[in-house]
Amino acid sequence: MSAKAGGRAVPSPGAAAPGRRRRARALRTWLGLLPFLAYLACFFVVPSAAVVTAAFENGRGGFTWSNLTASLSGIYLTSYGTSLELAAISSIVAAVAGTLVTIAVVSSDRPLLHRLVTTGAGVMANTGGLPLAFAFIAAIGNFGIVTQMLSGIGFNPYDHGFTLYSFTGLVIVYLYFLIPVMVLVMLPAVQALRREWFEAASILGAGRRQCWRLVGVPILAPAFLAGLMVLFTDAFAAYVTADVMTQGTIPLVPIQIGSLIQGNVLAGQQNLGDALGLGMISVVVAAGVAYALVQRRAARWQR
Amino acid sequence: MTGQRAGRRRRRRAPAGFRVGAPFRWAVLLATAVYFLVPLAASARYAVQGNGGTFSLGALTLMAHDGALWSGLLVSLAIAAGASAISLALLIPTAIWVNLRMPSFGRVIEGLTLMPLVVPTVVLVLGIINAFKDLPGFFFGTPLLLAVEYVVLALPYSYRAVDSGVRALDLRTLVDAGRSLGATWPQLLRLVLLPNLREAILAASFLTVAYSLGEFVVANLLTFNTFPTRLYEVGTEYADEAVAVSVLALTLTWAVLLSVSVLGGRGASREARRSQRAAMTAREARRLGSEPFGRPAAEPGEPA
Repeated sequence: MSAKAGGRAVPSPGAAAPGRRRRARALRTWLGLLPFLAYLACFFVVPSAAVVTAAFENGRGGFTWSNLTASLSGIYLTSYGTSLELAAISSIVAAVAGTLVTIAVVSSDRPLLHRLVTTGAGVMANTGGLPLAFAFIAAIGNFGIVTQMLSGIGFNPYDHGFTLYSFTGLVIVYLYFLIPVMVLVMLPAVQALRREWFEAASILGAGRRQCWRLVGVPILAPAFLAGLMVLFTDAFAAYVTADVMTQGTIPLVPIQIGSLIQGNVLAGQQNLGDALGLGMISVVVAAGVAYALVQRRAARWQR
Repeated sequence: MTGQRAGRRRRRRAPAGFRVGAPFRWAVLLATAVYFLVPLAASARYAVQGNGGTFSLGALTLMAHDGALWSGLLVSLAIAAGASAISLALLIPTAIWVNLRMPSFGRVIEGLTLMPLVVPTVVLVLGIINAFKDLPGFFFGTPLLLAVEYVVLALPYSYRAVDSGVRALDLRTLVDAGRSLGATWPQLLRLVLLPNLREAILAASFLTVAYSLGEFVVANLLTFNTFPTRLYEVGTEYADEAVAVSVLALTLTWAVLLSVSVLGGRGASREARRSQRAAMTAREARRLGSEPFGRPAAEPGEPA
């Protein structure tokens, strides 16, 4: 790096070479990024591209659509349905709950609560996987503490059709890492609501409900939708929690891919997992594009 | 004491731009607290529960004698150390370079560091198998592979931490001052930049360590024996014991993450104080004494 920077002060011999010198400097500037870009290419782009190409390959390296058609039929199609439904329901519930929490926190005047919630949300948003599944099993699993307490007062939820190891159970657990993400997304937006806007509305005769409907909601909408997209992809890609809690009884796309990797492959389906992977990437990319569109709209709004 | 008094004085004013009813606020906060604390309390209780509801550390002592768990922990620690070393070696020069030489390119690099969020981890494992399975065993068969991939997977968090630290510096001045005094680039890094970036470096390495210690998907699907994969195996046989250890692991991870956010908070509040001072001066200049108790615009900084 020192050589590159040192070269900057060396005067160019030819007078007719300012263009070349500029180009050389631009090249050196780019060279500084080379290690980072190369690393990302080797250990992220190459594997990801390998999934995409393998999705279109048959066992002998020729081109085929059969992986994709197989990945969109039978149990795999059902898995897509369940995965999308799970991601949609849990992200919508978490987005609404997270927004309410944010509004409650921002409307409070206790600085300690602010600090507690921002720190807590940052930590909880990174809590997932194994410990989370274990914690919920310890609380409301078959023999969980809360389950025992509830059956102690004569209401065992497992006698009333509830089970943690189900679709509903997964939604309940997913909220644990989704709500904090939503709080982190919504905090800046809710804090940016200006008092003048609400005062102006109420001077013009709006009630509290009207203030929210006509001022608050439209202003928060872009951040809300953006957060919703983030939560959706998070929930869609989550694997460990679902795997530990349901042991594969609920068909989800990541779990299907996981079991294909672990060797449950039928003959002629070597690249089925890659086709499913391509499908997952497509769903996430679609959500990402929606996010970008919403962001652009929001940027226009807030100028 | 002063903070408390300031808080009380502030209470007379609506803190936010809007008002919501106190019952609504407390109902929401109470429900949230219950939802987030009950599973934690339950697993802590579960961890120290003996027969018939007695207190017992049996589960933990049993786990302390599990050799595979200890060896898994050692592997995980080695991976975490490797991943954070690689991550720092890669990200610090990159962040400095981008902010110094191509600041307009910062958004693009930040976008690139978010790319690993686009490919679900399970799918990345597929790709790793596809792309690397024919490489020699010293790479594909060893934990080195995990360390290398954890760097990528933790990138969205670690790069942000490093980048925000670099951004908070007056990089141009520091570099020009150092260079004009004759420092070489390695000297500049070692004596000026790295000491100034200490908090950001700590935050980034903590985040990478926390990610590496907790990561399960890649390690499990590539059949490595790490701490989380052993925990999972234990969990299929002895639920109580697994919960006990997982509570411990969770506590440790949280301690790590909390220190990150405290570090970040300290940096952010210093930054906030600086910008607040500037804003105050400007405001004072514009309107003198219009609001005696004007609420300072200090908000908690963006969390890590």
